[in-house]
Amino acid sequence: MEVPALWIEALKEVGNIGAGHAATSLSHLLQTRIEMTVPRVRLVPLVRLQEALGQLDATKVALYLKVMGEAPGKAMFILSIPSAQLIARTLLCKGELPDIFTDQMAQSALQEVGNIMVSSFVIALTELSGCMLQPSIPALGIDMIGAMVDSVLLEEGHLDDSILMIDTILSGQGDMKEMEGTFLYIPAEGSIEKLLGVFGI
Amino acid sequence: MSKTIMVGMGDYKVGKAPDRLMTAGLGSCIGVCIYDLFSHIGGMAHIMLPNSRESKATGNPAKYADTCLEMLLEDLLKMGAVKSRLKAKMAGGAQMFSFGGKPPILKIGERNAEAVCQELAKAGIPLVAADTGGTFGRTINFDIQTGDLHVRTINYGEKVI
Repeated sequence: MEVPALWIEALKEVGNIGAGHAATSLSHLLQTRIEMTVPRVRLVPLVRLQEALGQLDATKVALYLKVMGEAPGKAMFILSIPSAQLIARTLLCKGELPDIFTDQMAQSALQEVGNIMVSSFVIALTELSGCMLQPSIPALGIDMIGAMVDSVLLEEGHLDDSILMIDTILSGQGDMKEMEGTFLYIPAEGSIEKLLGVFGI
Repeated sequence: MSKTIMVGMGDYKVGKAPDRLMTAGLGSCIGVCIYDLFSHIGGMAHIMLPNSRESKATGNPAKYADTCLEMLLEDLLKMGAVKSRLKAKMAGGAQMFSFGGKPPILKIGERNAEAVCQELAKAGIPLVAADTGGTFGRTINFDIQTGDLHVRTINYGEKVI
């Protein structure tokens, strides 16, 4: 599917508003000023997914939640291991970086952060499109990125056409600089048209 | 010189020893290797869904267990593999996420594994080893020379089947 340039503009707006909400909530939660920028927004067709994800067996932290409502879909927020460790350490007020594979407190903290991040983007989608969207509670995964994304994609036993991918960079004080995160929205059939239809595109 | 042939999502590749075949980050997907040790020919498929007939938008036939294994088998025989000598190994078919401990209604990983077993049985190819299920991702690397399938995970180590 050829993606119209106007769609990308509209999606960029979603990305920017979502990042704004996320940065504000995260700053409150972590008690430190967090800024968030959106260097890139893409609508990735499935055939290009592999190159968009990069190395498929790279270990990442992923938060996954389902979005119910008028334009249903599935949403994920993906963080690198070092970024996830930094965020968990700040939230738990720890001196050392936690082992996120085993530390349940750290995992629970990340789940909360992921919840805020994903909800921020979902709220941005809601605000701009007027479609009512309701996110579920998140599930946390720490594993190979390809494995986590493929199982989310295939969950209903079919493949969706394309994925909305919003790259974000979070930056805070000190070593919290330049943390990369990616927001993925996998719209159910017809949802992307519904979301963008409101813009008159 | 041996090289490693990468197999992408919903794709398949064939090769000759001493080459190796590899696919990375299998979640619910299944990596299947079919090989003829005597003629040193092998192939690997990265299967995403059980059945092409159940899907509305079919697209690339290499995504589905039924159509992909058919194509892979045809290519192996064309390269000189002998059907009666073919054996198969597979890995993958995990369930990566669950909400509140509840398993999803459609266990797609499990269904993928079942579909591959069925298709192999239909083609009369014995499945000699499998490492499927669980809640973790796998990266697999197949040695066409020896028939060894290396299965790497992040938290559960590496094994050879």
